[in-house]
Amino acid sequence: MGVEIVINKAACEGHGLCELTAPQVYGLDEEGQAVLKQPVNESNQAAAEAGARVCPVAAIEIRR
Amino acid sequence: MTTSTVAEHGDPEPDLFSAELVAEPFAALDDLRRQSAAVYLANYDFWVMTRYDDVRAAAADWQSFTSAQGVALLPEFNGNLVGSVLASDPPEHDQLRAVLSEKLAPKGLSKVRSDIRGYADQLVEQVVSRGRFDAVVDVARVFPINVVADLVGLPQEGRDKLHPGADATFAGFGPFTPYLQERLPAVRGYHEWMAQMTDRAKLTPGGWGEVVMDAVDDGRLSMLGAIKTISAYMTAGMDTTVNAISAMLRLFADSPEVWSTLKSEPTLAGPVFEEILRLETPVQGFFRVTTKEVTVGGVTIPKDQRVLLHWAAANRDPGHYPDPARFDIRRNPLDHMAFGYGVHACAGQGLARMEAVTLLEAFIERVDRFELTGPVVRGGNPVVRSLDSVLLSILSTRS
Repeated sequence: MGVEIVINKAACEGHGLCELTAPQVYGLDEEGQAVLKQPVNESNQAAAEAGARVCPVAAIEIRR
Repeated sequence: MTTSTVAEHGDPEPDLFSAELVAEPFAALDDLRRQSAAVYLANYDFWVMTRYDDVRAAAADWQSFTSAQGVALLPEFNGNLVGSVLASDPPEHDQLRAVLSEKLAPKGLSKVRSDIRGYADQLVEQVVSRGRFDAVVDVARVFPINVVADLVGLPQEGRDKLHPGADATFAGFGPFTPYLQERLPAVRGYHEWMAQMTDRAKLTPGGWGEVVMDAVDDGRLSMLGAIKTISAYMTAGMDTTVNAISAMLRLFADSPEVWSTLKSEPTLAGPVFEEILRLETPVQGFFRVTTKEVTVGGVTIPKDQRVLLHWAAANRDPGHYPDPARFDIRRNPLDHMAFGYGVHACAGQGLARMEAVTLLEAFIERVDRFELTGPVVRGGNPVVRSLDSVLLSILSTRS
């Protein structure tokens, strides 16, 4: 079961907790906004979900 | 509303704002959490939600749990709040929040980190050289207040009104407690002083206050909106961080092993702050109003009901945090609710983290051990879990 990670750029404020939690999946771009560093697959899905969960402004959505 | 989930269980209804429960709230909150997902409290006519998953879901669901009718309990106080960033919903909320969001985002804050660290060094050096100090009065009520006031660009004169004013304003989110009654003049004085800060001559050039006034000039904010915005950010930036820092310094005296672990692993400064926020959540909760009938965990809350989202109770939900009353330096609970969650999540949380971490770094470099030298005095604020005095002596690396 794959998931799709959608980052809501309008909601993201660059708090960076996603990157802190799952640096292999998330980073911050030059604008300080969250970006996916690699496609999400079975090997990094748990990390991606953990990173999404700590977003304080609910800007990362996991679509199953 | 006459039916009460509490009454059905035959338990007496807790007065969450009584001096007794303000001092020691956790057993009552545990009872409420066990009883049901949402409990109606007839004494103040509101519902309280205490379970982590429910509180988080309600905070995210601003369509069902609106902030636009105010996030305080009483109409007198909601009247002043409505239309501010705290008491509005998207899309109006997003426009208000956007005024300062670039300054408050970690990217914007990175420009001021060295200034804040410098101030932390200066303040910590001063108290360490004295050897004995009050962690609340001499550090926690000084550092964040001056950091935020400097960032906003407020004058030095009048800053003594800020902490008492913000503390009293927070009390105004709850009922008319004696605590609040005694402080109504402080609320008034604070807001009158703040209203003067829309005079650009009083604001330091380049500060956040000027950014807000620019938004007035180009029509994004009304003058009243500007006052509400500056007040909201100042108020939010004080009693919260003040009490989290107070609780942290008290913890280091109470649990020397936490301090020694942090000394040997300074990168735990962030996790220490997150865990104290979870365990000693300063803002106990904010209110919402249901926009329709909502069912939470089998409990149906009718439309137009005031609901307290209890951050502090959610943060001690054993269903989410095992052994929740224990301070675990390695827990790093980044998903705690001390800053709220969703569209209204604390906009200044990046600054709060920066303040806490720079202050800890300054102490780590200078202090081997903290010891309590007097009784800890808890504050009586019914909305913010607070401390009035934590007398400490230190053993210094340099002495």
